[in-house]
Amino acid sequence: MTDSHLTRRTLLRYGAYGAGAAALAGTAASWDRLTGADIPGRDDGSLVVATLGPAYGPEAIRTLTEGFKRVHPDIKLRINAVQAVDWSDFFAKILTQIAAGTAPDLVYVATEGVQLFAQRLGVPLDRWVKRDAEELREYFADVHPSLVESMMYEGSLYQLPVEFNAADIYLNNQVLKRAGADFPAADWTRDDFTALLRDMKRASGSQFTPYFWTNRLWGGVVPWLFANDTNLLTESKAPGGAWLWDSFYPAAERAGRGGGFRWTTPQADHARVEEAYDYLASLIEEDLCNRPEGGNGQNLIGVFSTGRVGVTPAGGFWAGGLHLAGMKAGGFDTQYFPRWRTQRMQFGAAGYALLRTSKRQEEAWEFIKYAARRDTLMRLFNTNQTTPARRSMLTADRYRETGPDRWQVFYDTLDKFPDTGPIPAPPQVAEVEQVLLKHTGTALASRRAVAPALRRMQSDLEKAMERDV
Amino acid sequence: MTNTRIPDVRPKQPTAARSAPVAAPRPSARDRGTRLLATLFLAPTIVGIVVFTVVPIVGSVVLSLFHWNVIDSPSFAGAANYREVFGDSTVLVSFRNTLVFMVFAVALQLLIALVLALAVNGRMPVWLRSVFRSAFFFPLVLSAASISVVMKYLFNQDFGVVNWLLGLVGFAPVPWLTSENAAMATVILVYVWQQFGFSFLLFVGGLNNIPKEIHEAASLDGATGLRKHLTITLPLLSPTLLVASVVGIINALQVFEQPYVLTNGGPGDSTRTVVMVIYESAFEQLRFGEASAVGVLLFVLIMAVTALQFRLSRRFVHYQ
Repeated sequence: MTDSHLTRRTLLRYGAYGAGAAALAGTAASWDRLTGADIPGRDDGSLVVATLGPAYGPEAIRTLTEGFKRVHPDIKLRINAVQAVDWSDFFAKILTQIAAGTAPDLVYVATEGVQLFAQRLGVPLDRWVKRDAEELREYFADVHPSLVESMMYEGSLYQLPVEFNAADIYLNNQVLKRAGADFPAADWTRDDFTALLRDMKRASGSQFTPYFWTNRLWGGVVPWLFANDTNLLTESKAPGGAWLWDSFYPAAERAGRGGGFRWTTPQADHARVEEAYDYLASLIEEDLCNRPEGGNGQNLIGVFSTGRVGVTPAGGFWAGGLHLAGMKAGGFDTQYFPRWRTQRMQFGAAGYALLRTSKRQEEAWEFIKYAARRDTLMRLFNTNQTTPARRSMLTADRYRETGPDRWQVFYDTLDKFPDTGPIPAPPQVAEVEQVLLKHTGTALASRRAVAPALRRMQSDLEKAMERDV
Repeated sequence: MTNTRIPDVRPKQPTAARSAPVAAPRPSARDRGTRLLATLFLAPTIVGIVVFTVVPIVGSVVLSLFHWNVIDSPSFAGAANYREVFGDSTVLVSFRNTLVFMVFAVALQLLIALVLALAVNGRMPVWLRSVFRSAFFFPLVLSAASISVVMKYLFNQDFGVVNWLLGLVGFAPVPWLTSENAAMATVILVYVWQQFGFSFLLFVGGLNNIPKEIHEAASLDGATGLRKHLTITLPLLSPTLLVASVVGIINALQVFEQPYVLTNGGPGDSTRTVVMVIYESAFEQLRFGEASAVGVLLFVLIMAVTALQFRLSRRFVHYQ
């Protein structure tokens, strides 16, 4: 094709190319790994806090930043409201930030991610809690120990809970009236629940769904497992934690507490688990509840507020949601989840986790304390978009405009049922949740499908729990 | 389709011209300047391809040989990720689902687009033709995720408009998204509704390029409407069909938004696709090595299917 003689000039040219390439490669190899933080202006010395975007609107962010600035004018704060549809999506985005080298100092973490963050990313707060014990005494006195225990991992505390939501039952008063049914008593049973659904169905016709639920870890099948005195994974307590209980809680409240929950062995093929699934399958078969639907229940507010659904499990967060959707305070009310073998209920809580990579850990601890203060939470949770972790914040005044009338149910789910516990969320939670959702969909196709689907769920859960995260 | 009616009239290079060695003349200063200018013009594209395509592909191949959870440093795993992937029933099911999805979605997409393109290309006022063209193309400019959110409401078994309408004419509610059999069909339906506009526009363009004289000549010879389409329109449209099917298949093999939003892969694994598995492995389960291994396998599958299409096109595609 071309002249094959290698001239001196060609040789010199290729030599220069080679030297240039080698210099480039050498330079690249000798550089430290570039990260997002190397982009000019990214790391401006601020304490960066990642929050779940939809839960923290511009007003909330302003409240947090301006209030914190007044208390700590020397600490520059930046709230990074990560837009995500649910906690799983939120964690995926936080991990992407960590992978990009732009890890925040603090991350708002719900029960779903507490153990994952604690095991791989988090810093225990023990030394700061011990140091500032006097300052925190008022906080712990106001927060139920179950919420605190759900934020512990292997004896250490990783977050101060600021909010929680237990799966209570919301009932549409208009639908109850149509069915001629009384409002259920606090100690109602699973059979009372079924009878109520039948009454509602008879009175409201074929286009009506008495019980609606969403297939997810929080508020899906798990409340029924808890009510039937079982769980997806065996539950036990880690040793330790006495340093906290002995310091902050009276003997009656610290009895039976440990160093955090442990969820270890899958038990999806346990008879009681099968019984709970069979019950839900029977409700579907009788057209008393919907088939398991994925997602986050976004369409539920609309159908509940317009009387096309009678009953659904939700937490305190729904009071604000229904109010925003235009539902009047007297249009709905809440009751505890019905009793089956027990009346143990499930909850999820959230607080700020401090990341190991943070270079501003002292400042971060100041923010954690600030974010758990009563006045901060009063300003932040003023629309009842969640249940505050502080008992003293739940008052008649708070729920006067939004409802429900029985607002005490939210915190009494913890106070009157001290065995109420967190949803099962081991460090392998992402895979556990995926397996649960996947096989719940197939298990509830019919009553005959329950047992084989749960056997497959058990097998997949065993694989998931064997994996190191 | 056969190649006996429309002869291949592309100019062919003489064999001798291709094989004889020709000594290239030394480029002049002007030639070198032209080459430099061409290189400068091409540079942004080449840099873009290298940075955003070649590097990620190479990166994925390398990452597929490592265990990496974002938090800790990667550790070399050799072929362990591939062994894990081949032993994972969810991954295998996702490949099966994706292939089923591809076959039905692309076939339906091309069929609908072709029928509508032929209809729009028929006799009708120009303004009406413009309305149809815009209407059929419009869903394509919307985001797949937002369309899927709306469709999820429409196809909801208990409260969806679709079942409400069916109920008015006496049909029982259909579990569009909550039964294994119906869910994949619904996902395909939503995908095709959004995507067929692209193939439709290609076909409209292709039909406009077919000389009218050929149709007129066929009419004089007594060819009827259907026969004309089978023996003239389709063979002459075959290059466009090839492009539409190649793009359609590549897109369908990478489907993510519709099943993710509509069904989240369920019920069970019935609508879980390969890209969903990649997303879940990487960003939910922190198994970036396995996710990359699945990505590499998908890349190989897309390359193989595309290569097969081009290979087959030699027999079925006719250039004027």
